[in-house]
Amino acid sequence: MFITADSIPVSRAAIIQEILDSPLKINLMELGFLPGKTITLQHSAPLGGPMAFRLEETILALRKTEASLIEVQLL
Amino acid sequence: MPESISPSLVKSPKIAIIGNPNVGKSTIFNQLTGLSQKIGNYPGVTVDKKTGSMNYQGSNYEIIDLPGTYSLYPNSEDEIIAHRVLNQLKEEERPEFVLMVIDSCQLSRGLFLATQLIDLGLNLAIVLNMADIATRKNIAIKTFEIFKALGVPILSTDARGEKGLDQIRELIHQQNFSKKSSFINIEEVVSATLLSEVKEKFKLSNSYQAYQLLRFGEKDKTFSLDDRNWIKAKLSESQLQLDAAQLEETKIRYRKITSIVEKAVVKTPDAKQESGIDKILLHPVFGYLIFGAILLLIFQAIFAWATVPMDLIDGFFASLAGWTSNLLPEGPLSSLITEGIIPGIGGVVIFIPQIAMLFGFLAILEDTGYMSRVVFLMDRWMRPFGLHGKSIVPLVSGVACAIPGVMAARNIGNWKEKIITIMVTPLMSCSARLPVYIILIGLVVPNEVVFGIFNLQAVALLGLYLLGVVGVLFTALLLKNILKTEEKSFLMVELPTYRAPRWLDVLWTMYNKSKTFVFEAGKVILAISVILWVLASYGPPDRMDAIRAESEVKLAQASPDEIPVIENETASLLLENSFIGIMGRAIEPAIRPLGYDWKIGIALITSFAAREVFVSTIATIYSIGADTEDELTIRQKLNQQINPETGEKVYNTATAFSLMVFYAFAMQCMSTLAVVYRETKGWKWPLIQTVYMTALAYFSALLVYQILS
Repeated sequence: MFITADSIPVSRAAIIQEILDSPLKINLMELGFLPGKTITLQHSAPLGGPMAFRLEETILALRKTEASLIEVQLL
Repeated sequence: MPESISPSLVKSPKIAIIGNPNVGKSTIFNQLTGLSQKIGNYPGVTVDKKTGSMNYQGSNYEIIDLPGTYSLYPNSEDEIIAHRVLNQLKEEERPEFVLMVIDSCQLSRGLFLATQLIDLGLNLAIVLNMADIATRKNIAIKTFEIFKALGVPILSTDARGEKGLDQIRELIHQQNFSKKSSFINIEEVVSATLLSEVKEKFKLSNSYQAYQLLRFGEKDKTFSLDDRNWIKAKLSESQLQLDAAQLEETKIRYRKITSIVEKAVVKTPDAKQESGIDKILLHPVFGYLIFGAILLLIFQAIFAWATVPMDLIDGFFASLAGWTSNLLPEGPLSSLITEGIIPGIGGVVIFIPQIAMLFGFLAILEDTGYMSRVVFLMDRWMRPFGLHGKSIVPLVSGVACAIPGVMAARNIGNWKEKIITIMVTPLMSCSARLPVYIILIGLVVPNEVVFGIFNLQAVALLGLYLLGVVGVLFTALLLKNILKTEEKSFLMVELPTYRAPRWLDVLWTMYNKSKTFVFEAGKVILAISVILWVLASYGPPDRMDAIRAESEVKLAQASPDEIPVIENETASLLLENSFIGIMGRAIEPAIRPLGYDWKIGIALITSFAAREVFVSTIATIYSIGADTEDELTIRQKLNQQINPETGEKVYNTATAFSLMVFYAFAMQCMSTLAVVYRETKGWKWPLIQTVYMTALAYFSALLVYQILS
């Protein structure tokens, strides 16, 4: 079952399935959020603040709204 | 000899350095160019143009440091620059060579930009930087595989450890860059006929450049209206979906890159994942506490350390003025120089210690990688007010001085969030308000301890700082609902690996930011100082002459002890009757409801130059003499001022608090205005800001006075 990245539990890894259509799609892809890559949620700021994902060797922070554009499958 | 062309006539080759953010690009730039760096401006934008020259084996090269970007498609003002410099239509204005810096641990992301540069037909060489970190993370890169796939020269370096820099110099010197035909075929995405029409129209040889022109030309003001309309017509005629095309391009590009990276990178699993520090620094509770503690430390340091050089600068300009006035024959020119220009320059220079130190601390936070963590922590709290996580940097700086704060707002990509940040930053209580607060609090708040621990005066001071924060949030909310933008706000920041700061880069930042401030804002500040001087020194001639004549008569009869007293009285009378004094009287009816008399009115006008001028103006008006250092004397003098009509103290509690609130909110800093003008590229925002802040100050002060009196 696919979920979006904003609902990945902390410390869980997931494989990106697709980046959903939106004006930010390209920005996410440019940063390296590409189908097939593994992301892990490292930190989550309180009260629905930004989320920090590990993507390969980097940690990237996104807002929840941007994370919800990434469709993933939990590992 | 035919080859003996003088060196100055030979144009040095231009080399642009480009790369993703946080790849060590600036370190390479600093190492190559050293002390020869210059900061200039790109036309139409506020992004600093960093250039420098490199001398190597008798040859000279011009190096340009471009802002970090992830792709040629720009998202912020910074990134537009990279786009514009590399896309220049005129061949001779484009840099001859491009040095692309890639983080060895982030190969695919770096190659994404690198291959776009290849497609643009640029002469390219690639530097795989941070080789040391890659080794530490067990990442091995077969550079030959990348070279095979791209066909451009590749170097492996560790710029922080200064490894491989000689190779870079040698590469530049040998002009060992190469131009490849293309990496992807853009005609898979955009029709070849359309591209050749563009190429023909703009005399281009490269299809990818033609495509970039189609993508951005319509909104690029550097093109003529005809050209822009032509592009627009072509776009609608061909029904090219730009976003879809870009997406397609991104997919094709990444597909090719992924296959290269699979061959070139050998990663031994079990690479250490260092997020231990972040467990604490990004902790939902401790993260904020630590951030607060760091802020406290910085302000403590700024207030403690900056005062020493600031006092020295103050003293230096005071004695320079004194020395000059002794040197020059008495007259309007001498007084313009000693009372207008020298204090005007001094008023600019005095901010340097604070600006330099604040930028120093910010550079350290930035360079260690902590600043992106702060953005991460604060974004949620800023958003409801129409601000961005990145707004925290300007707001925090604003507590020391709004000038570096406004300057720091430029890396906020979203126009609306940037404008709101610039508009509210001057409402934070900066250090220039402190002397005003201290004098007035000392006057009306008893130095008593309540509830065992709270000193009333400290509580009042804290209250004023909080008032500033309330003003910021209120104004931000207001603007959030007024300003309209179609730009979508987003936050995508990398949280880079923690590292020790590069001290040389920190020093560079301090030096360059101060220099920019002095030269850019300095011009405006100087002009306004001179105007204020004219208004304060001249008045209707008959009145001024009469005062001078009377004073001379008195001086002739006075005993030596009385001379200074009479001189002070005269100075005070002259100020009263100068144009500024007349203006003070003119605005009295307007400020009377706030509890101010015309003397305070004069101080309000002169403090437009800078808030702290309040103290010296008040000192002059109440003729305490030139020595404003001794704040106690001023306080005693103020305390003795009696309103002739009511017989009450002029500086009663209501008036003092009304004044403090006025100073908390009013825009009384021409340096800030000058910087806002520079950052927003026009007088619209500084004017709105002045009107808004003055109105806010006026009505808040009115409210306070009416409640308290």
